[in-house]
Amino acid sequence: MHRKRLVLALGVLLLPTLSYAQNTTVTPFDKLPDWSGVWSMMGGTIFDRATQTGEGGSVTPGVREHPPYNAEYEKKYLDHLALRDADRYPDVQTNCGVPVGYPRILNLPDAYEFVVRPDVFYIIAENGGNTMRVYTDGRKLPAKEDTWGTYTGVSVGHWEGDTLVWETIGLKGDRDNDSILDRTGLVLSDAARITTRMRKINEKTLEAKLVIEDPKALTKPWTVTKQFAKGKPGLFLYDYGCAENNRNPVDTKTGKTFVLGPDGKPVN
Amino acid sequence: MKSVHNVVLAAVAMAVVSLAIQPVFAHHSGAGFSKDTREITGTVKEFQFTNPHSWIQVNVVDDSGKTVEWSVEWGSPNQLGRDGYRPSTFAPGTKVTIKLHPMANGALVGGFIAAKMPDGKTIGKWDAE
Repeated sequence: MHRKRLVLALGVLLLPTLSYAQNTTVTPFDKLPDWSGVWSMMGGTIFDRATQTGEGGSVTPGVREHPPYNAEYEKKYLDHLALRDADRYPDVQTNCGVPVGYPRILNLPDAYEFVVRPDVFYIIAENGGNTMRVYTDGRKLPAKEDTWGTYTGVSVGHWEGDTLVWETIGLKGDRDNDSILDRTGLVLSDAARITTRMRKINEKTLEAKLVIEDPKALTKPWTVTKQFAKGKPGLFLYDYGCAENNRNPVDTKTGKTFVLGPDGKPVN
Repeated sequence: MKSVHNVVLAAVAMAVVSLAIQPVFAHHSGAGFSKDTREITGTVKEFQFTNPHSWIQVNVVDDSGKTVEWSVEWGSPNQLGRDGYRPSTFAPGTKVTIKLHPMANGALVGGFIAAKMPDGKTIGKWDAE
């Protein structure tokens, strides 16, 4: 009887600790998958190749994607496509200085590193350069009112076996007309919430499946898959000084991309 | 089993092709380059192995006998570096013939396609276009 009381008392004492541990489960290093190495996005910079119509890349006239936009955002997209077709759709990233944000950070050329740690997951994109953090230390997403809209938003995730699952909120979307998904002119609103599941589907390929919900812009969830191929061992990543010698600034008012000659003056 | 092997091979081949067709000028839009192909022959003045894109400055004697300076835009030095190219790839003073996509407005600027060096070695897709 005395022993039963002792066990009960210990149980009561341990209860808060166990409860806390359940809420803050951190996957230790030795249980995490190996995503080391240098990776490159497969395919061109069309964000949703599965719904692409028209032949070519994101700046080719006539090419577009088909997200489940509502009427308002479909019209916005059509307006952007018309500017793109006239080579007048401004991509502010071209002027160097703003992050590409999420989900565009998964839609870049050049090289990537995906850094897996127990408490945080980093996406390091050479292009830009751009960085994204996904916290996996057991914390919860902040309340909507505690976010203020940034390019990359706020992300919290956890591991389900070898799959990293994270949710992203707090995106600025198209609020300031400076955050796009690709150069066709795809945008989301500041109400977007993205659930991403990322895993290695074989030794040479990482896959990220995004389910995008956006009550302001979409009529239903939009699923997009991005894949990344592993580079040969020993490759280096370098810094990307976008402003080092940018001979293609963009006039954000007219959308015109300038080409600077050797004297620094536009030739177009 | 053989058909599965072939499917895997085809998938790998497709992946390689899709990597190979990534746009070189991902930093900006077409910026007025035409789809035409033009060859220029001249002397390298400077190779700007800098981000976001590299530029080869080439002095070319035009039809009137005047020396003019062409600007040829290539990929990011980071990607070119991983592919084995270096700032010394186009050393100043080197005679070179370059294939490029010229700007539609006639400016002396083009997008790099390929180059032929004095020893006959080529860089890029010399036979592709």
